[in-house]
Amino acid sequence: MDTVKLYLRSMKMLLRSQMQYPASFLMQTLAQLVMEGGEFLAVILIVDRFESLNQWTAGNLFFFFGLMSVTFYLTECFGRGVTGAFPGMVRSGQLDTLLLRPRGVLTQVLCSAIDPRRITCIAVGVAALVIGCQMSPVHWTLLKALAFAESVLFGCMMLLGLFLIESVLCIHSVKSVELVNALTYGGRSACQYPIDIFPRPLRALFTMVAPFALVLHVPAAYILDKPLYGWPGFAAFLCPLSGAAVFGVMYLVFQRAMRFYRSTGS
Amino acid sequence: MRAYVSAFRMRWKMEAQYRGAVIGGFVCQMLFGLILVGLYRALYFSKPQPFPFGQVSTYVWLQQAFFRMLLASDGDLLDKIRTGSIAYDLCRPVHLYTYYYVRVMAQKLLGSLMRAAPMLVFAALLPPGWGLLPPAGPGAFLTALLGLLLGLLCVCALENITMACTMRTLDSRGMQAMMNLLMMVLSGNVLPLTLYPDSWQRVITALPYAQLLDAPIRLYTGQWLLSDAPRILLRQGAWALALIAAGRFFWHRNQKRLIVQGG
Repeated sequence: MDTVKLYLRSMKMLLRSQMQYPASFLMQTLAQLVMEGGEFLAVILIVDRFESLNQWTAGNLFFFFGLMSVTFYLTECFGRGVTGAFPGMVRSGQLDTLLLRPRGVLTQVLCSAIDPRRITCIAVGVAALVIGCQMSPVHWTLLKALAFAESVLFGCMMLLGLFLIESVLCIHSVKSVELVNALTYGGRSACQYPIDIFPRPLRALFTMVAPFALVLHVPAAYILDKPLYGWPGFAAFLCPLSGAAVFGVMYLVFQRAMRFYRSTGS
Repeated sequence: MRAYVSAFRMRWKMEAQYRGAVIGGFVCQMLFGLILVGLYRALYFSKPQPFPFGQVSTYVWLQQAFFRMLLASDGDLLDKIRTGSIAYDLCRPVHLYTYYYVRVMAQKLLGSLMRAAPMLVFAALLPPGWGLLPPAGPGAFLTALLGLLLGLLCVCALENITMACTMRTLDSRGMQAMMNLLMMVLSGNVLPLTLYPDSWQRVITALPYAQLLDAPIRLYTGQWLLSDAPRILLRQGAWALALIAAGRFFWHRNQKRLIVQGG
């Protein structure tokens, strides 16, 4: 509980400091809107030309897109410490100061940055979800709401886990960290669309290695009443747990990697 | 003139240092290309389109291969503007716009060539229906090459216009992000321009962003016939001239009222 309080306090502090330059903040937030708006526009134009994708209607596609953007950008907004700031901390030696304080390193890393500009991306995602629900249409039940919440929550955990790979590589000072982007950003672009449209190797990559499909698509398909691969309903509640598993494993790896951390000095 | 040639060569050598980044970027772009082709294949399977799928996959691969041409920008210049060391550049006996134009051109040209060569080989080896098709004919290939060159002139000019805006605001991140994203959407990187609604085609292909990669790619795949080529190339050339003229005008005006940051 103490950790949560600490996190919330840091977030408030960071937000206030970011708001010191309102014009710059506004401009960057707008840029984010153009980015995510552009991605959404691409889906709309695809729907305009192709109408549907296998068994998925236009509404379904918007729903999948929305779920992905909301999850991804929530992670980037609140997990900025892991998704963006960490490599810089290692390079500058700032990480050393975290080792001196009586809190976990990962907690402090998470507390060290926030990216409120992503709010527009999240807004685009929410708009896509609402449009998707209207068009599909989705008949909400309590169980479906539960599946949705679980999907977003564990989706964020999975993404944090995947971004932690980059942090671990950073500690071992392995070059070409861009490779990890293939998993995170690649997963984002691929899994904006339902997984079953892709050929087997891509499906395997985003189900077994980076379980986007298990965490996001199985519950989404359940919510849309079109179970993925005909899997039973309880799969929608079990599969997202793999996101927590990814985070758990990467957390342990991260703790181990920290033991090998060598400061860059000065 | 010699000064600009050597500025170009210096920048070229510097860009050649980053081979590690090229390999990481290569794997990433490969995966993105495969994902996009997989998606469009599934879409085509649901509803075939009047033009063959090979054109779409070729479009995707060429866009991925020359991705770096769109996004590379001169980080040095940004720092110089922020720290005030741009004052030194003002003392150089060169035309500032041209100096930075050739620098960014070297960066974009070599950056994209280093990435494009292995990617195009890989894409050409993919099974049919996934990879890169050969050009529609020798004429199409030559006009596409010429088009790519004109596209390079356009993209460097656009880059310098963005820089001109940076000089005025100092904090470039918002402005730059916006210009870059606009470029990604309107140049066909996010979604091939050929897949935009048919009613938009006339307008969207006339915009400057379509001149960068879309025009040469359409010449390559033969979607634009050889008989249209002179008109297309002329349009590209006209945009290149207009963008360079606009950029020079902005730079000239900025130079007069430039405030050197110091401290």
